[in-house]
Order: sequence, then C-alpha cells, then structure tokens
Amino acid sequence: MTRRRRLALVLAPLLLFVGACASDAPQSTLDPKGPIARSIDALWDGVFIVAVVVFILVEFGTLYLVIRFRRRADDTDDDLPAQTHGNTRLEILWTLIPAVLLGLVGFFTLVTLFDINRKDDDALAVQVTGQQWWWEFTYDTDGDGEFTDEDVLTANDLVIPAGQDVNLEIGSNDVIHSFWIPALNGKKDAVPGSEHPLRLNADEPGTYVGQCTEYCGLSHGYMRQRVIAMTPDDFDAWLEDQIPEAEMPTDGEAAAGAELFATQCSGCHLARGINDEEFADQGDGTELLVSGNAPDLTHFASRGVFAGGIFNLWVDKDGDDIIEKDEISEEFNRGAVEAWLRNPPAEKPMDAPALPEPGGEKIRGMPDLNLPEEQIDQLVDFLETLE
Amino acid sequence: MAIVERPTAPLELTTGEPETIRPLGVMTRPQGTTGWKSWLTTVDHKRIGIMYGAAALFFFVLGGFEALLIRLQLAAPGQKLYSADLYNQLFTMHGVTMIFLVVIPLGAAFMNYLMPLQVGARDVAFPRLNAFSYWCFLAGGLLLNTSWFLGGGADGGWFAYAPNTGVTFSPSHGMDFYAIGLQLTGIASLVGAINLVVTVLNMRAPGMTLMKMPVFTWMGFVTQLLLVFALPVISVALFLLTFDRLFNANFFNVSEGADPLLWEHLFWIFGHPEVYILILPAFGVVSEIIPVFSRKPIFGYPFMIFSGIAIGFMGWGVWAHHMFASGMGPLSVAAFAVSTMFIAVPTGVKILNWLATMWGGKLRFTTPMLFAIGLVTMFTIGGLSGVTHAVAPSDTQQTDTYYIVAHFHYVIFGGALMGFLGGLYFWWPKVFGFLLNEKLGKWHFWTILIGFNLTFGPMHILGLQGMPRRMHTYVEGYGFDFWNMVSTIGAFIIAVSMTIFAANVLLSWRAHRRNPVNAGPDPWDARSLEWMVPSPVPSHNFDEVPTVSHLDEFWHRKYAENAEGKVVRVATGAEVAQKGDAENVHLPSPSYWPLVVAAGLPIIGYGLIFNLALAAVGGVIVVLGAFAWGYEPADDPEAHHGHGGHDDGHGDGHGDDDGDGEGELATVGSGPAGTTGEEASDD
Repeated sequence: MTRRRRLALVLAPLLLFVGACASDAPQSTLDPKGPIARSIDALWDGVFIVAVVVFILVEFGTLYLVIRFRRRADDTDDDLPAQTHGNTRLEILWTLIPAVLLGLVGFFTLVTLFDINRKDDDALAVQVTGQQWWWEFTYDTDGDGEFTDEDVLTANDLVIPAGQDVNLEIGSNDVIHSFWIPALNGKKDAVPGSEHPLRLNADEPGTYVGQCTEYCGLSHGYMRQRVIAMTPDDFDAWLEDQIPEAEMPTDGEAAAGAELFATQCSGCHLARGINDEEFADQGDGTELLVSGNAPDLTHFASRGVFAGGIFNLWVDKDGDDIIEKDEISEEFNRGAVEAWLRNPPAEKPMDAPALPEPGGEKIRGMPDLNLPEEQIDQLVDFLETLE
Repeated sequence: MAIVERPTAPLELTTGEPETIRPLGVMTRPQGTTGWKSWLTTVDHKRIGIMYGAAALFFFVLGGFEALLIRLQLAAPGQKLYSADLYNQLFTMHGVTMIFLVVIPLGAAFMNYLMPLQVGARDVAFPRLNAFSYWCFLAGGLLLNTSWFLGGGADGGWFAYAPNTGVTFSPSHGMDFYAIGLQLTGIASLVGAINLVVTVLNMRAPGMTLMKMPVFTWMGFVTQLLLVFALPVISVALFLLTFDRLFNANFFNVSEGADPLLWEHLFWIFGHPEVYILILPAFGVVSEIIPVFSRKPIFGYPFMIFSGIAIGFMGWGVWAHHMFASGMGPLSVAAFAVSTMFIAVPTGVKILNWLATMWGGKLRFTTPMLFAIGLVTMFTIGGLSGVTHAVAPSDTQQTDTYYIVAHFHYVIFGGALMGFLGGLYFWWPKVFGFLLNEKLGKWHFWTILIGFNLTFGPMHILGLQGMPRRMHTYVEGYGFDFWNMVSTIGAFIIAVSMTIFAANVLLSWRAHRRNPVNAGPDPWDARSLEWMVPSPVPSHNFDEVPTVSHLDEFWHRKYAENAEGKVVRVATGAEVAQKGDAENVHLPSPSYWPLVVAAGLPIIGYGLIFNLALAAVGGVIVVLGAFAWGYEPADDPEAHHGHGGHDDGHGDGHGDDDGDGEGELATVGSGPAGTTGEEASDD
C-alpha cells in the first residue's frame, strides 16, 4: 500500500469527525453553540491532535517494525538477533516525556475545568428535575428565591434567554438521570436527594437538543430534552405568558374536554385555572405516581414537544424535524396527541399497566385510560387551547 | 532435606493408634484420574485451568449472541425488533457476561495453568481451594443466567446504579440474580487470588527470585493482589443491594436519607482496579509471546515489572473518573483527572517496551504473534481515547455516549481478548499436545481484526456526534444511521471469525486424532519453564523441580555464549526438556468437597430469592461440606503414588522423592506436613 493511501486511510475518519459539524448532527459534541461548549471543544481539539500524533507514531511505527525486522527466508533458527536486554536511558526518557506531555494536558484541563465551573450568581436560575421519563423546569417567577409549586412549571422544552449565562440546579424525583445539551455544555447527573449546578449559555437564539444520558430504566431511550434560546425580550415575554392561569374554554368541544380533564386527569396533572380544586383533592399529583409528579399542563400548547420530548406537538415546516419557536402554534400535530391519549404505554414503554386503585401500588408513567374516541377528540381540542 | 519425617502409614495419633479418617463416614475419597468424573473431583491446577477456559468460551458465545441481538436492533433507526425491556436486559447481561464470565475466567484459565509451571511448582498452594474457586465461579455464572428463565435477566446495566436497581424500579428478580451471581463469582476469584499469591510467594523453584519470574507470572501476581483488595468492596456493595432488595433495608433508599452516590463510589472503587485485573494478564501473555517470536528477550524487564506494579498501585487512585458528571464538585473532578492522566504513563511504557522488543528482532508472524501485535496496536487506540476521557471537561461530553463504549471495547476486546486469543494459540500445543492450524489461525486473526474495527471504530464517531449509551433505539436525523449499520455488519464479521476459531479447534483435533504426532515440549523455541516439560504436561508437572539461575531459564539452557561471545544454540528444546516419566511423585489428592460446598452456595442464593427454607438447606450443605473438607486430610493417606493413577505400588514415603533436596508438595493444613520452596535452597 502506498504511503499516500495509508495516509488517506488515517485521515478519512478525521475528515468524518470534521464533517460531523453538519446540521444533520444536532446532538454533536463537536459543534459548540455557546462559550462553555466552545471552551470544552477547544481543549478537545488540542488533546485530539496529540492523540493523533501518538497514534501515527505507534501504529506506523509498528508497521515499520513488522516490515523491516521480519524474518527473512534464509534466516535459520540459529541466527539470533542481538539479544538486547534494554536501554535504561531510553526507557527513562520514554517514561518522562509522556509524563511531561500529560502534565501539560493536565494543566490545560484544570484551567478549562475551573473556568467552566465558575458561576455568575446574578444569572437566571432554573430548576431542572428529572423523573421517569421526562424533564420538568421550574422558574422562580414569584421571586422568593425558592423553587416551589407557586412558580412556573414547564416540561421538555427548557426556554432560556440567549447570549447570557443560565444557572441550572439539577435534581431528580426518582432515579439518577443526566441532563445534557451537547451544543451548550457537558452533562450533569440528576441525582435524587441532591441538586447539582450546570451552566448553559447559547450564543444565538435557536433550538438545541439533548437526551437523558444516565440509564434510567425502560424509556431511557425515550427521554429527551431541548433548550429553546430566545432573545432576552422574547424570553421575558414568554415567561410573562407562562405565569397566568389557563382560560376555561367556552367553545363546546374544548369545554367538554376541559371537564373531562378535570374528572379524568386530576390524579396526576394540573392545568392551573382548570382543575386546581380536583388536583388538590386528589393529593396534588403525589398519590398515583412513584415520582409523585406528572407534567404541569397549564401552558401545554406553548411547547414544541410532549411525552418526554419524543413527539412533536406541532408539524415540522422546515424539514429538520425539530420544532423551533416559529413552528410552535402553527399547525397542531393532532394525530400524535390522539395516538398518545389512545394508549400511552403503546407509544412509550412505561411501567403503568393501569390506573392504580386507591392505596394501590403506584405507577411509573401514564397508563392507558381506555378513553373512547369521542372523549379523546374533546381532550385534544381542550389541550390545544392551553397556550 | 525434609523438615518433618513423613509417616509411611496412615496417620498416627498421639495415642499411638493408627486411625483411618473417613469424611463423615459417607464417601470414600475419589482416587481416579481418568474419566469425566475425575474432572469433577480434580484438584490439578491444569485441569482447573482448562475448565475455566472452556467455561469462558461457552459464556463468550452467550455474550456474543446478546451482542448480536443488540446490534440487530440498532442496525437502523426506529426499529422495534423486541421490547425496550428486553433490550435493557440484553445490554446488562452482555456486559456482565463478558466481563465476569469471559475475560476474568479466561485470565484465570491462563494464570491457573501457567503460574505454577512458570515458577517451577507442582501445583498451587491450596489445591482443593482452587477446585472450589472454579465450581463456585461456574455456579455463579449459571445462577446469573438462569435469570432468563426465572422472570427476566438483570436489567440495571452492568454497573447497576442505585436507586434504579431497587425493587421499585427493577421489580423483576433479574437484579437479585445479578447480586447473588456476582457475589459467588467474587468469592471464587477472591479465594483463587489468595491461592495464587501464596503460591507465588512460597512455592517458587530454588533459585527463582522474584525478579527471575516470567513477566506473565508477575502480571498475574499483581492481578491477584488487585483481586484480593478490590473484590471485598464489591462484595459489600452487593450485600447492601441484596439487603435493600430482599430484606427491606434502606442503604440506597433516598427517601430515608440515602445517597445514591454511595453505590457509585463502592462500585467504582472495585470497578477501576477491575479493569486492570482484566488487562494485566493479557499484558503478561503478550510479554511472553513477543520475545519468543522476535527471538530476543523482553526489552526492559525491570521496567515491565515496575510499570505493572505501578499500574496496580495507581489503579486505586482513579476510580472517580467514572463519575465526572455525577456532581462531585470541581475539586474532586480535578484530582481524579490528574491521577487518571498519569496512569497512562506506565501503560505507555509497556507499549514502547513491546515495540522495542520487536526492534532488531527476527520476527516470525505465527498466529500468536499476530494476536500479540493486535493487542499492541488496538490497545493503543483504546488507551488514547482513555487519555481523552481523563480530560474531565471533555469527558462531560463523552461520558455515557458511544465514545466510551468504543474506548472500553478497544481496550477489553482489542486488548485483553486479542491477547488471550494469542495465548490460546501459543499454549494450545503445551496443554493439548498438538498445534492449532496456522492457516485457519491467520484467517481467524484477520477476520476478527477487521470485524472488530468495523464494529467499534465507528462508535467513536457516534459518541462524538452525541449518541448516548443504553438507548434501545434512536431516530433519524441525528447522523447516527450509517455508522450503526456499519457497526452491526462488523459484529457479524466477528461472529464469523469466532466460527473459524471453533472450526480450527475441531479440525485440528480431528487431524491430530487421525495422525497423532505430538507437538513436542517446545514447538515454538520458547523461553520459560512450562516449555521444559512434555506436551501435554504430565500431572506431576516436573520430574525434577529445576534449579533456576536466569530469567528465561529454559532459553539459557538452550543458548549460551560461545568463545567469541556470540550467543549460539547449545541444545535443542527436546534435549533439554524433561521426559515426564518420573514415578512415585506425590500429588495432592482429588476431593469431592470443593464441589459439594460450591453446589450449596447457589442453593442458598435461590433460597434467598424464592424461599428461605431452601436457603437453610443450602446453608447446611455448605457448612457440612466445609466441615468434611476440613476433616479430610490434605493428602489421602491411602493414595497411590505416581502419575496417571496407575497402581504402581505404595510409595516409600512422601519425602524427598527425587533427591533434589526438598519435599514434594507444599500443602498447608492438616495431614502430613509439607515443605515449602523457601526451605529448599542449599542441601
């Protein structure tokens, strides 16, 4: 094989790495979209080059040895090569040089590590809570410095202002999950019983995707999160719009759906302004679920995705299958919501065989409620009004 | 000189009355050395090694099937070949099987077979305990796999993070089988480790100082020390999990104040030394193979030994690099990032020393040599990706993605497994008396090299593009589709290559049956003591325990410097090798009790899961078996002497049979006193 061919074989995967900066790799770790991710990526670039150099030296070195020192046809077993036992100076050298090299890598590692872990205490704080198998986000809208049920609760889409730090406090209601948006920062585990900080910062408004990255059971593969970064003005407007209660619909079908929601769904879900009483009566959503928490649906129709981020709530218009801010509230993806309500466990593996009896074993996920089609239609009509 | 005069008659007690000891009066001691039943009662380290190897290869096929099912599901986006629940069981069982039931026992196979031979001993320090190790391991592996039939395989991932492994979140019995099965395999390895450590320290041949031991034995020795200290940690963790799951304890119950990170720390304090346990034996294997087929000694023997020891020590200080995203706080992350970076230094030294061994040599590319070079080149890739993980900020992007899956498969498959496959080809003629076919061996090597790189190379890309681990499926539009398909194709190529290996074993054996030409003691012109005895190795190992004066003692008996200072051959291997025909060699006697005690343990296990009365029954078997074992003399006073189980008359004493100045067998415990290698110096 010619030298050039061999070089091409080595470079091809390198090129593929570079080529991963394509728009069809929205979860790529090599395409940073914010200063923190960029800092990590810069460190990676340097270390990767060192690794490639060592790779070439060792692998091509081996190839060279294998060719140059192969036994020739006329060698007999009694033709022994020089029986070198070692070379202490050389060995010390090739112990020290890698140590120094690694020390350098270590130095830059620590610099970046402490840089990305600094915290701007004035930045917006959002509480991120993982549970099987979706993410909840809490904004301290009542300004009391605490994250409580009096604050705005949303799910799946973490909305943040672009161009500034956002401090996440990440926890869990059941098992260990991990929150990750590769374009913006590395991941941080959501561990029940503690809160872990993670800083996000997106250069520009846009939609950045991620997945749960700590094995958390049945639907670990179906637990997704997204960040929607908006201009600071748009963000303020969005947050303002999240605070009010939902409006009780007046139109027949949607109103019927609202009533159904209050009677059927209050064991787990709350839509403020619609079923506050029923929700409180049935234990504030803590009675039926192991995690004690189901998504708050007050502004369900302001989100881009649902069911733990695996289904689009709106129809994708620009062909990238990612529902961005401008696609929300365009064309409702009715079919997906209907399919979900028809039989949630068929759409997403969960441990929720049926609605539990009072005092019965709690479930993990949403069960099949055996709703007739007419009721499903009404519920979907209602859900669409929850902007 | 024997320290103690051994009685020639059954034990004489102080009352002066000879008494025959029968264990519980129930079973006579087995004495056969042929037939399938003799394998159940054997205490011969070589047979035990072979059984470890056979079991490991069986579990490799099982784990391989699990892998193929995983790869089939992931070949294309959005597939639903089977449920997410089954997928979760498959990846969990695949990981547990490959690590605990394949790579560890493959290492055990080589270490059990070779370490006594390489140090010039006739067996390990505690032969019955050695047998117990094997049966206990087998019991654990089988128990774990019966989970498939008893409610579902373990489904918590191989590192089983709490609280997901608790009863609430893993309601099937799968995790109970995980906890108990691994407890049993852990006992097996721990017990075996004590055995081999004592063997190395106490039973070396006269003249064999520690720094004259072969590199393989040294790496094995460090591995056993790692096992001794690491296994208790996971034992504790598994006990905590078992008590939570079966007896309502709250060790990992967050609502009662537990911290799930306790499991993570316990697991990884074991788990990181574990990976050095996986790789060091294979490092030892290639350190034997490369010098033989380069026709020169290992380059830098002291550095090879000290780097192995360094890896052993430093391996204890890096565990939390598995936890960089766990919320430890930046100071802890920083400390472990730095320690992890430095452990690359001794590992890198080894790579360079192997290459320097090849430098200036006359390289023969036999199948073992190809696999050894495979380890060197593939482990390098895994080691480099490992260094990138040490860069903690980067690792927060890499961890829990396929980039990590790529890394550990490159080091475990491309490293440990390649090394062990080379070892199989290398030592096969020693163990079985015939060589494996070279042509098929080369086909095996090249197909596995290609298949392996096609399977795991693309996973680096998938990981960097953001594909997380343990996903039962993925969607289009993320750039994952193409490389997943390539990876699946690679996996099937690996399956083909292992079929070639199976065919090689079968066809070579059949060819040998048709035309039984013995491979001879030294088919490769090798360097260490195991090549100085016939192939297959006689049950008594050495006719005469050799006196050692060099590293690579066997080599130095074949080659010496001539008058001009040139190293030339002075004898062939066959001339130097022992004939294997010694008679009246006293060997440790076979026993039922290791098997009985080992059989009681899984009964306890099933009992804990299903019915405590059954556990009590198992407990009784274990306790009674242990007592019987304890009362049974280490050596059967009525044993016939000599090898091969022939009735060649009672021996004339257990003392200094071969006149080399030492007693035969160091068995510690009851019965006639043994002598140890220490005493056998200058008589």
